[in-house]
Amino acid sequence: MVDNSRQPNRRTVLSATGTALALSIAGCLEGDGNGNGNGGNGGNGGNGNGDDSSDDEQVYQIGMVDSRTGSLAPYGERNERGMQLALEDINAVGIHDGYELEVILEDDETTNQGAVSAAQKLVNQDGVPLLIGSVGSGASMAMHNSVTKEEGVVHISQNSTGAVLTTEPDLLRTSPSGAAKGAALAELVLEDGYDTCAVTWINNDYGESLSSVFEEEYEGDLRYNEPHEPEGSSYRGELIEMAETEAEAWVFITYADEVTVMLNQAFDSGYHEEFAYYGAESTIADSIIENTEPGSQEGFKGITESAPEDQPNFQDYEDRFQAEFDQSPTVWSAYTYDALTIAALAIEAADDFTGEALSAVVRDVTRPDGEEVFTFEEAKAILEDGGTPDDIDYQGVSGPCDLDENGDPPGFYQIYTVEDHEYVWGDFIST
Amino acid sequence: MANVSILQLIVNGIVYSSIIVLGSIGLSLVYSIGNFANFAHGDTMAVGAFGALVVAVGMNEYLLGPEAVVALPGAVESLLTATIFSLPLWFFVALVVGMAVAAIVVVVTEYIVYRPLDAGAVELLITSIGVALAYRALLILGFGSDPTTYGVGRSGRIEGIHAITGLSVTPRDIVIVGTTLLLVVSLHLLLQHTTLGRKMRATADNADLARVSGIRTEEVVLAMWVIGAALAAAGGVFLGLDTLIRPRMGFELLLLIFAAVILGGIGSVYGAMLGGFAIGMAYEMTAGLPFIGTQYNAAVAFIVMVAILLVRPNGILGSETT
Repeated sequence: MVDNSRQPNRRTVLSATGTALALSIAGCLEGDGNGNGNGGNGGNGGNGNGDDSSDDEQVYQIGMVDSRTGSLAPYGERNERGMQLALEDINAVGIHDGYELEVILEDDETTNQGAVSAAQKLVNQDGVPLLIGSVGSGASMAMHNSVTKEEGVVHISQNSTGAVLTTEPDLLRTSPSGAAKGAALAELVLEDGYDTCAVTWINNDYGESLSSVFEEEYEGDLRYNEPHEPEGSSYRGELIEMAETEAEAWVFITYADEVTVMLNQAFDSGYHEEFAYYGAESTIADSIIENTEPGSQEGFKGITESAPEDQPNFQDYEDRFQAEFDQSPTVWSAYTYDALTIAALAIEAADDFTGEALSAVVRDVTRPDGEEVFTFEEAKAILEDGGTPDDIDYQGVSGPCDLDENGDPPGFYQIYTVEDHEYVWGDFIST
Repeated sequence: MANVSILQLIVNGIVYSSIIVLGSIGLSLVYSIGNFANFAHGDTMAVGAFGALVVAVGMNEYLLGPEAVVALPGAVESLLTATIFSLPLWFFVALVVGMAVAAIVVVVTEYIVYRPLDAGAVELLITSIGVALAYRALLILGFGSDPTTYGVGRSGRIEGIHAITGLSVTPRDIVIVGTTLLLVVSLHLLLQHTTLGRKMRATADNADLARVSGIRTEEVVLAMWVIGAALAAAGGVFLGLDTLIRPRMGFELLLLIFAAVILGGIGSVYGAMLGGFAIGMAYEMTAGLPFIGTQYNAAVAFIVMVAILLVRPNGILGSETT
């Protein structure tokens, strides 16, 4: 018999547990949202703090959603450097009659819910007509479907490579679609002599689209092609399943935190000596090298987006980046630089600072018609002289940036290998 | 190959269960003595892990190695870096520090948040969600959100065991399981053979009667928080050792820990141990199930919990307390 006095009333406990579980599910959603709100407020310390958007100050405010925390945080850091340089260049010249470009920066915490909350805040509260965001393909799609498409806000993703973004023509991006990369990866694995392969992909839009491209293109025996959950605490089960298939090559289509845990746990089981590892653009990051054991990923090969190293404006960008941040730029910061510059050009060329007016011109400033311009300053000179958006063709620091009818630019890729626990760059591949 | 894999899965399950058991015992203690579900428990694990991280960073960057800021006498330095099961001695110091830090943080929270509120179970539960968010935010403020490790290096599997049985067992696995056993046995001895343990069991049974018979329940509540937090911190340190140290690490484990406590029976510490073991094993052994992919391992663990609850609605040991 239950002694009612000694325990909390069973009904209370059960209702409390029910509330708790419901709240914890909500907590998973709200927790990200609330946490994002806090992080967002803290994160407004970036360039262009949009707190006092009074009419006295001549500013154009746009929104930007970035992954400052979470598994894609390495990209957030790279992007912010690109953003800083872009704002310097743009505001040195100014838009229209000395207006400054201000960016309100929010954190999506590498979750779709966080991204949607951030986008809602930027569009509904701050009223921005143009949004740059985000890194994860799922996050970009979620923001587009939930917020920017309906509100008519111009949406440019700075880093998303998922093939699925091609299905949304209004979702523009400065990073190329991963479809070509998936094909190149499949070819690479086969060329290296591995005709049996196991693929583990992160369970979101990015992983799903890249792995399905790989599946289509890979001509060998694909013995394993299963998802794994993001931010897991143990991937031993997945690793054992892959080892059981006895495929010779393992392909990791996932993010930095996940691949770090996998590489470490694979090292514990000795898999690094039995199987060849391959990856893509998110399995290359300094944090992965720092948090894994030397020798645990020796010979890890992958394909990632690369910058046009022979283009003079990229070389200028590289020099300035090196001077300001004391390190080499990644192509991701270059994509962000271009996203901001294209946004500024759209504002310069449009009749009005509204989503509708901006979306009418934003593609044209990048299209091949017109004179090739390599910096915001050059482009603005032509536009001020009475030029139309068709008269300029912006050539970005990350490449020609010609947005096609799906809003995708062409891309360049490069192979990287881990040798002596460091990244070594290899051949270029272009689409 | 298949037979060896099942054994390997069992080994993996035991290691993972250890971490969950350490978390679920603390939660069960709070449930039975404090009378509310503490949602901040997962983040208490993270607090412990970061507390140990402070020691690790201090050791690696300031005290040891060629770039040491403070030069230690040779004897001290070699003592600190002497390894037990491939883990340096200072790691165990860090572990104890992490447990102490978590205990202090939790006691402070009790005094400035829970006690002044003087509220019922559901209100305290919601408050603990807020406390959890606060812990996480403070960790991000203090340490940033990049994942880190303790910098102890991974040694790979023990070749001797692998040669004989074909199983991959690393020295740190042995440390994790061994320390968990040590802590669990110590807790059992504390509960059964010390005065404090008797007081805790009495308060869990019937707080009013315990007070009437002269037990200072405030002291017992304090002991409960300290022990629960210390065990959770140990779990957090081992999770960080096994995978990565991130501010969100505790929150993700929280649902599994709750499942373990409910499965073991609300209010029973020994039940929590069994529940933690069951959930951890179910999680890792999903890889051995023929048609279910490993991405469903959390789902399988919860289905096991529901199945056992259907047979024993009070949980495995739910009809007894502590």
